[in-house]
Parts: sequence; C-alpha cells; structure tokens
Amino acid sequence: MKGNNIYKPVKAKVREVIDESPTIKSFVLEPERKFYFKTGQFIEVALDGIGEAPFTPSSSPLIAEQLEVTVMKTGHVTEKMHQMQGGETVGIRGPFGRGYPLEKLYGKEVLIIGGGCGFAPLRSLLYNLEAEKEKIKKVTFCYGSKNPKECIYEPYIQKLRNINEFEVMRTVDDADETWTEEVGVATVLLDKVDVNINESVAVVVGPPIMMKFSVQKLEEMGYPDKKIYLSMEKNMSCAVGKCGHCMMGEYFVCKDGPVFRYDEIKDKPDIWK
Amino acid sequence: MDTYRSLSKQEWEKALTQLLNHYHIYAPLAWGENQDYERIDEDSVADIIYNRPKPASPLKTFFLPVKENVINTEKSDKKRIILGIPSCDLSGANILDEIYLDDVFVDPAYKKNRDESILIGSDCHTLQEHCHCTTYGIRPYPEENHDLTLSLVEDTIFMHINSDKGEQLVREIGNITQLSEPTENEIQEILDKRKAVEEELNRRNRDLPNYNATGDLINSSGDEIWKKYSETCVSCGACATICPTCTCFLLLERPGFEKVRHLDACQYPGFEKVAAGEDPLKELYKRFRNRYMCKYVWKPEKFESTACTGCGRCIEACIGNISKNELFMELYNK
Ligand SMILES: Cc1cc2nc3c(=O)[nH]c(=O)nc-3n(C[C@H](O)[C@H](O)[C@H](O)COP(=O)(O)OP(=O)(O)OC[C@H]3O[C@@H](n4cnc5c(N)ncnc54)[C@H](O)[C@@H]3O)c2cc1C
Ligand code: SF4
Ligand code: SF4
Ligand code: SF4
Ligand code: FES
Repeated sequence: MKGNNIYKPVKAKVREVIDESPTIKSFVLEPERKFYFKTGQFIEVALDGIGEAPFTPSSSPLIAEQLEVTVMKTGHVTEKMHQMQGGETVGIRGPFGRGYPLEKLYGKEVLIIGGGCGFAPLRSLLYNLEAEKEKIKKVTFCYGSKNPKECIYEPYIQKLRNINEFEVMRTVDDADETWTEEVGVATVLLDKVDVNINESVAVVVGPPIMMKFSVQKLEEMGYPDKKIYLSMEKNMSCAVGKCGHCMMGEYFVCKDGPVFRYDEIKDKPDIWK
Repeated sequence: MDTYRSLSKQEWEKALTQLLNHYHIYAPLAWGENQDYERIDEDSVADIIYNRPKPASPLKTFFLPVKENVINTEKSDKKRIILGIPSCDLSGANILDEIYLDDVFVDPAYKKNRDESILIGSDCHTLQEHCHCTTYGIRPYPEENHDLTLSLVEDTIFMHINSDKGEQLVREIGNITQLSEPTENEIQEILDKRKAVEEELNRRNRDLPNYNATGDLINSSGDEIWKKYSETCVSCGACATICPTCTCFLLLERPGFEKVRHLDACQYPGFEKVAAGEDPLKELYKRFRNRYMCKYVWKPEKFESTACTGCGRCIEACIGNISKNELFMELYNK
C-alpha cells in the first residue's frame, strides 16, 4: 500500500445483484484492476457520497478479476446497497487485516461453524478449502440461521454435499413444513458432529451471541482455546489501524484481526458485544 | 555548545517579520492567564509570548485538524513554523507518529501536515496548575521531535539547533541578522532554569503514581470508582478532543469518492456501536473508563510511546470538574 493514498478506493462496477434471502443480497463487483485478497481479509465498500462499510468477500480468493460481497440490510449504507440494480460504480479499498490461518488448517479436520450472514466470509474459506481439498482431512460445516428463508447459498450447499471430504449440517431456529434438517440454535449441531478433536481446528463466524455459545460448547467438547478461530465484528471506519473505533483491548481489530485465535482475545473486555 | 545561537529579542522580531514572506508562522498569544496558537502577522510579532506553558490547543491540531479532506492532500503554498511548543506536546507526537506513520499504512494527510511543519520547542519557565509531565517521564524542556528550542532570558533569544531543518532555518535567520554564540554563563543560566522548573514539578507531583503504576491501578480497579467519578460526566468529549495524544476520528463520504476526516472520541455515545445494535460502550461509566484503559493499559501494551503526557488539559477542559489525578490518588491510596 505504500505510496498510494490508503483512503482512496479503487472503482468497481456492480456486475450483478443476487437475492439470497429477504434481508441478504450478494453483489458481484468488477474492479478496474485485478484485486487480490486472502480468505477472511475484508474490504471497505464505498457508495459515492453516501458512506462506506466493511465486508468480507464471499467469493473465492483465487479469482482476482471479480469479487463478491454478501450484505445483510442493517442500516444506512447497506440499505442503499440493497437498492442497487447492477451497473452502478462503487469504490473498494483493501484488502485489510488478517484472514483465516489456512496453513493451520492443512492436514486437519476442519470444523466450521457459521451463523446467519456469517456464511458470507465462510463461503470464501470453503471455496479455498475446496480448491485445496487434498491438503485437508475433512471439513464439517455447521450452519445455523433464523428460518429456512434466511438460509443462504442453497445451490452451493448442494454442491458441497456432493464432495467426499465435505459434510454440511444445518439448523434453523424456526422451522416450517419444508424444513427437513435440524431445528434449534447452531450449537445443537455440535452434539452431532463426528470429529477427532485432537486432529481438529475450529472456525466460528456469526452473530456475537452465537459465537459466544459455540465457543463455550467447543471448550466443553475439549477444543483448546488455541485451536479455535473467530472473526470479530467491530465498528470500523478507517480499516487501517488509525481511527480507534475497532479497538478491543490493545488490538485494532481491523489490523490485528478480524480473525483471532480465541486465546488471544478471551480476556479482552466485552468481546461478545 | 556550538549548536546554540543567540540574538536580541528586537532582532529576532525583525527576522520573524521577514520570515513571514516565506512561511506561515504560528505562535502563542495570550489573553489573561490563557494563551493559544495564533497565526502571526507583522502586527502581532511583538505580542508573542515565550516560555510559558501551555497553549490551550495541543500541537496535534496542526497535524490532525478537526476536519480535513484525506483524499485531496495537495501541498500548501508555504511551509509553516510553529513556535512555542511545550515539551509535553512534542513528546505527545511520538504516539501520533507511531499510529499515523506506521510500517504498513502511512496516513497521507497526517504525513503532509507533519512534513510541512518546522517545530520550535519552548522551555517551560513557569508552570500551570495541572502540569505533571515529569510524573510520566517527560522533562519540562524539549528533548525530541523538534527542530529548534527557544528560550527567552531577559532580552535575549537563545536558539538550540536540533535538526537539519532547524539548522537551515537558523541559516535563514543568519542571513537576515547577525547571530551570536552564547557564553558558557548564559547557557548555564538556561540549564539552571530548566533544573529549577523540573524540581518544582517533581515536588508538586511527588504523590502521583508514575505511568506504569497508574496502568496497574486502573487495570485492577473494580467498577465502583468509575461509576463514582463519571457521575458528573456529560460525554462532551472535551477531554479527548483537547488531548495531545488522542487520535480517534470518523471518515465521512463526499461526492467523487472523497473522504473527510472528523476528529471523534470514545466519550461520545455510539462510538463502538455496530450495525446489529450491540454497543460495548453503551453505559456512560464504561465510556468514561475506556479513555483511561486506552491511555494507561492498552496503548502501553501495543506502542512504545507514552499515551499521556501529563499536560493536564483534560482536567482543565472537563465540564464535569473531573480530575483524573484525584481519581488516581484515590486508587493509589486505597
Ligand atoms: C470485518 C468486518 C466484516 C464484515 N463483513 C460483513 C459481511 O460480509 N456481510 C455483512 O452483511 N456485513 C458484514 N459486516 C458488518 C457490516 O459492516 C455492517 O453491517 C455495516 O457496517 C453496517 O453499515 P450501515 O451503514 O448499513 O449500518 P448503520 O447502522 O446505519 O451504520 C452507520 C455507521 O455506523 C458504523 N457501523 C455500524 N455498525 C458497524 C459494523 N458492524 N462494522 C463497521 N461499522 C459499523 C459505520 O460507520 C456506519 O457507516 C462486517 C463487519 C466487519 C467489521
Ligand atoms: S482515549 Fe478514546 S478518544 Fe482517546 S485515543 Fe483512546 S479511544 Fe480514542
Ligand atoms: S490524558 Fe489529560 S493529561 Fe494526559 S495527555 Fe491527555 S489531556 Fe494531557
Ligand atoms: S471532559 Fe469531562 S464531562 Fe466531558 S466527556 Fe470528558 S470526563 Fe466527561
Ligand atoms: S477501523 Fe479504524 S482503527 Fe480499526
């Protein structure tokens, strides 16, 4: 980044807008120039004159011509994004921060726990692991969402289920008559997983409350804190370790994270808020 | 000793007036007991005050203005000379540099503002009520981050050269007027003044815990003390905005993918609120405590530089009449 203005975005065209659920849309972005990121790193998306917000690309880090973000409608910027039809120009800055520790996953049984829109960054990780499946023993992906309508990436789930090394388990808080999988919060899936904990590393991404209970459960199952990775969501503005908004203890989450090993952050204040 | 130069105050003022052709000059002007940096012109050169701590606004306001476009960072027409900077503010620049000019991301606007400034430090010959720099290892005379140091003794200005920029400026002044080399006695007089002020500071603040001890006290305190001291806090943020080492800001978008930086503070509600509604600093006493944790516990863990210079501005600025030093003494004596 040296030499460039760290606040100046690269322009990107919105190529496609995909409805994922009533509250979630994906945006396929085509940057002016190739854009490289590592899975789990995040970018800032700027809407001209409106605002900027951080998102973790949900697309494969192995593709540099296009990238995709999956966005839940929650407020000012995300609402404006949801009004986009395709063809608009946005700004992107990044990539920022420390992503998932791929090298720590190689040779392991990877247990991935995702909740709600937390599937977005995890899809990028799954794409990455899928492309390197000979490097891992297996992947167990547990996904929880509010209700069947809010379960995103249905086609991708089907695709993963057809790969030998990948197992996908899903649950919803509120089921309807169409739902044939588990019912209950995401941690109910952990009672059912079949992993060799000594050979395993866990990755958790989702709403704070879901991460909190998942970590508790993982500890009960026997996962050491050093084998649990979390992606932390904090209020952010600059993304480059300067504005102070994302401080969590002595860490700047944007620069030192957003992915942390649980033992690195467990004693920091209010990590689940 | 060869790095000292001197000239009469009258000649100095003449030189400054000439320098106005090439530089913007900022220096402390006083009203009553108070003083602040002002842009100097021919008429105000003679009103500059010397060696009196400390301008109401901290040095950081020159590097991090309240509001600034961070995309358009064009060079200014003239460099600026900032005069009369107390030692605490110069040392306070260390943490700003660590954050804004780090190894990975250099902040272009900050860098420009920093590079375009010639910093002239000032020995403190008197003290203000809340000065406690020595408690945190800073001496009341400039030791770092400055190009020149200035002392006015009787009617003579003494300049100590500390950098190439400083040497260059002294050369320019030398082209305008004759400079002398001070005698050993004169230099001794400057050093004696320094010593006297430092001793006075140590005496006044001898009961205050040092920087590390303060961090330990804060880190092991319960909620009660924060609830008690924050009773009169109104979340105005003055303590942070006036602080030479507070660095927080918010970026706002402007058309053309431009961004404007606004100084921000963790004392304002919503500073850490996320879209989902969670807010680690929702309760006022937690926001109040956050500033202390930031300065004495977290910043020391992450950075080399001290995050409090002991300038005392936060005490003077507080609408709620809250003194951090009273709080520390209460923690210390428990
Ligand atoms: C590292 C990281 C990765 C993320 N990845 C995704 C993702 O892949 N998909 C997704 O849907 N969401 C993601 N989020 C959350 C997303 O950034 C917020 O939903 C978004 O910032 C909300 O902006 P808003 O203007 O719509 O909401 P508002 O509530 O209107 O926000 C107003 C302002 O508050 C600040 N703010 C509020 N909440 C947040 C927040 N959580 N993070 C940063 N700033 C905030 C911003 O300055 C914002 O402009 C991520 C957050 C982080 C920190
Ligand atoms: S005390 Fe608050 S405003 Fe000051 S630097 Fe720390 S977080 Fe920012
Ligand atoms: S915390 Fe107070 S005393 Fe310390 S540097 Fe900031 S304003 Fe000065
Ligand atoms: S200056 Fe005083 S009243 Fe204002 S936010 Fe700081 S502690 Fe609270
Ligand atoms: S987002 Fe600004 S410091 Fe992390």
